[in-house]
Amino acid sequence: MKRRAALLILLVWPVMAAAATLPELESRLAADPNDMKAANEYRKAVIQAGEYDRAIDFFKKLVTDHPKAAYAWLNYGYAYVDKIPAAGSITQVILANTALTNFTKSIEIERSWIALFTRGNSYLYWPKIFGRGPLAVADLEEAVAISKKGPQKKVYARAWIALGDAYWRTDQPDKAKATWKEALALFPGEPQLEARLARDGEDLEAYIYDQLDPNKRVDTNLSPLWEEP
Amino acid sequence: MRRSWIGATLLLISVAALAAGPERWFEDVTARAGVAAKHTNRTFHNPYAEIMAGYTALGASAAVADFDGDGFEDLFVTDSSETGRNHLYRNDGDFTFTDVAGEAGVANGNDASNASADALWLDYDNDGRPDLFVVRFGKSQLFHNLDGRRFREVTREAGLDRAGNAITAIAFDHDLDGDLDLFVGSYFQPVDVFNPATPRFFPESFETANNGGGLTVWRNEGNGRFTDVTKQAGFALSGWTLDLGHGDADNDGDDDLYVACDFGTDRFFVNDGDGTFTDRTREAIGIDSKKGMNAEWGDFDEDGWLDVFVTNITDDYMREGNFLWRNNGDLTFTDVARETATYDTGWGWGAKFFDYDNDGWLDLYVVNGWVSAGSESYVPDIFEMITRGDVDFADARNWPPMGRKSLSGYQKKKLFHNQGGQLFKDEAARHGLDSLRDGRGIAVADFDNDGRQDLFVANANAEPFLYRNVAPAARWVSFRLEGKRSNRDAVGARLRLTAGGRTRLRFVNGGNGFAGQSSRRVHFGLGSLKEIGKLEVLWPSGAKQTFAGIAPGRTYRIVEGEPRPRRQP
Repeated sequence: MKRRAALLILLVWPVMAAAATLPELESRLAADPNDMKAANEYRKAVIQAGEYDRAIDFFKKLVTDHPKAAYAWLNYGYAYVDKIPAAGSITQVILANTALTNFTKSIEIERSWIALFTRGNSYLYWPKIFGRGPLAVADLEEAVAISKKGPQKKVYARAWIALGDAYWRTDQPDKAKATWKEALALFPGEPQLEARLARDGEDLEAYIYDQLDPNKRVDTNLSPLWEEP
Repeated sequence: MRRSWIGATLLLISVAALAAGPERWFEDVTARAGVAAKHTNRTFHNPYAEIMAGYTALGASAAVADFDGDGFEDLFVTDSSETGRNHLYRNDGDFTFTDVAGEAGVANGNDASNASADALWLDYDNDGRPDLFVVRFGKSQLFHNLDGRRFREVTREAGLDRAGNAITAIAFDHDLDGDLDLFVGSYFQPVDVFNPATPRFFPESFETANNGGGLTVWRNEGNGRFTDVTKQAGFALSGWTLDLGHGDADNDGDDDLYVACDFGTDRFFVNDGDGTFTDRTREAIGIDSKKGMNAEWGDFDEDGWLDVFVTNITDDYMREGNFLWRNNGDLTFTDVARETATYDTGWGWGAKFFDYDNDGWLDLYVVNGWVSAGSESYVPDIFEMITRGDVDFADARNWPPMGRKSLSGYQKKKLFHNQGGQLFKDEAARHGLDSLRDGRGIAVADFDNDGRQDLFVANANAEPFLYRNVAPAARWVSFRLEGKRSNRDAVGARLRLTAGGRTRLRFVNGGNGFAGQSSRRVHFGLGSLKEIGKLEVLWPSGAKQTFAGIAPGRTYRIVEGEPRPRRQP
């Protein structure tokens, strides 16, 4: 009995600890709505605590108070994305669609690499029939173009990978392969690029399809933006 | 000389081919057998007709029983159009059938106020003749089997004359009083769907809808009458029920219940042994938000505990995945659909465990597809409604009409071969079972008594399929049980057959599986085994019998309390 109680405490403790950090992070974001680091910490804690609706409500208020804060809109969108794996299949669609609207708001304010990559990558999760593949290509080409202008960061590989996926999903397999190859030269050893280049045909399609499974949590941790070289 | 070599070679090839058996183990004999009558969906004539058309592509079903007692399994097949007649296909014994529904008095299942949705054979009066329950949107019908040829409708005198929108029914002796009780699942709430007084009769949510028809439990009073005991039995469901499945999850001698629901949470109820049930959903399977279509029980991994297979929707716009609930033996289940490769069967409907190659392992056939119509997809239309925001889904007027568009149509059926209880491999294409029609119900039976299980598939708005199993010979044995203290159909009886060091568990089920009732005969594939160690029968009455010296290759009749199985001719 004691052992079971101890186990329960061990399981619940990280959730409680994460929840305890939320008010402080909310205060920091209220003071600086474009603080990406605080927003990132906040969303990580939210995922751990399972407080998705609290985050959505918080960012909704934040963008209402600061309608010109591009990164607040971006994180508002991410708050919806973070909830997707915890939702039913139809709610997932509603969340994903709302996230896209918020990413677009962010882009309207500032055409940043992160916002263009995020929206472009989000389009990839939509079934072909919605015709969002070309929109993904456009956003991701722009994100890659932005990334080429300055010094390379490891995190930029994500846009290259997604751009290849976008070409693949718009029936341009040669362009997809060429994109991943070009990216691998820039980011040697990048496992996601290697995995794609090692596959072909149905195998590759299954792999990409699996990567874009909405039931799997999308990595929305943005810390590589400022932590990695 | 050369010619004789060629001749010998050809002979050898022929012999080898015969020994190996044909590559395709199922033969489509639908037309030849005389069971090709097309099913037609119901067309509604009300202000919401265009919208309803997209959500009522249902009603194609099949139910198996030997209604005339001649030793060959017969078939009842439903239609759903207003003027459509249901079919009672009498098995002529040579893999042809004759539709005798008219003369038997069971053809009239459809009219302006009623649409057939499913059918169930049950011997509710324990007289040894299967009676027939026709499940309907409107009022369901109970037909008493008078003499193995003619039936009389007894719905009113049985106390079952109640309007609803029933879509599924199973029968088992939930209170163990020796007769079969009726469990009826309904899709829409009990509104008149033919002339609805309100437009608010559609599901209020895609994931947590609780404005459906739920479940009604009818206790068999043993005098030809049924009483609604839903509440007393511990049920208060209002979900969009699509299927019900019973099975003894904890091997305690009474049958538990799985309720598969569209637009929301499936439910699992444990039988308390006194005619009541306890809802154990949260602990047993958790709270899901999927679209459960089918609840089929079977011990696929041969661990002595019955598992449950449930179909859901898996398409590129909705990746729910099926459930294969492996029974943990403590009234909890673990979903192993991904691990066993049974996760993705498209928009799944009926699914049945059966051993098509008689290797002793339960295989699984799954039919699928919602509406296969024009080349345009309905997906964007429905998603436009979903993402609009603040839409009252319960109001039918808010749903886009489907017209000639398709939704998860033209999907290939799956025949999963059980690879030793851990993994399944799809063999549908190899055996010609990968049709693209919109499948609904599956009925499994050995129609020609050759020891190989055949398949009947009911398709929505299309012709059905009758597939004759022509797999290479392997050993088998089957049993037809007759209860004495237990219900006469012996529904709920569990059989444990030990052979070759393995013990296999099967049970007599009372109509599990969406829109399809299989044979009540209990079939065991034996592979190459020549001997059966023992057979243990656990009757619903609590009695236990053990038999030895049973020879493979036959069907036996086992009567509760009799010391020896009787060979069937």
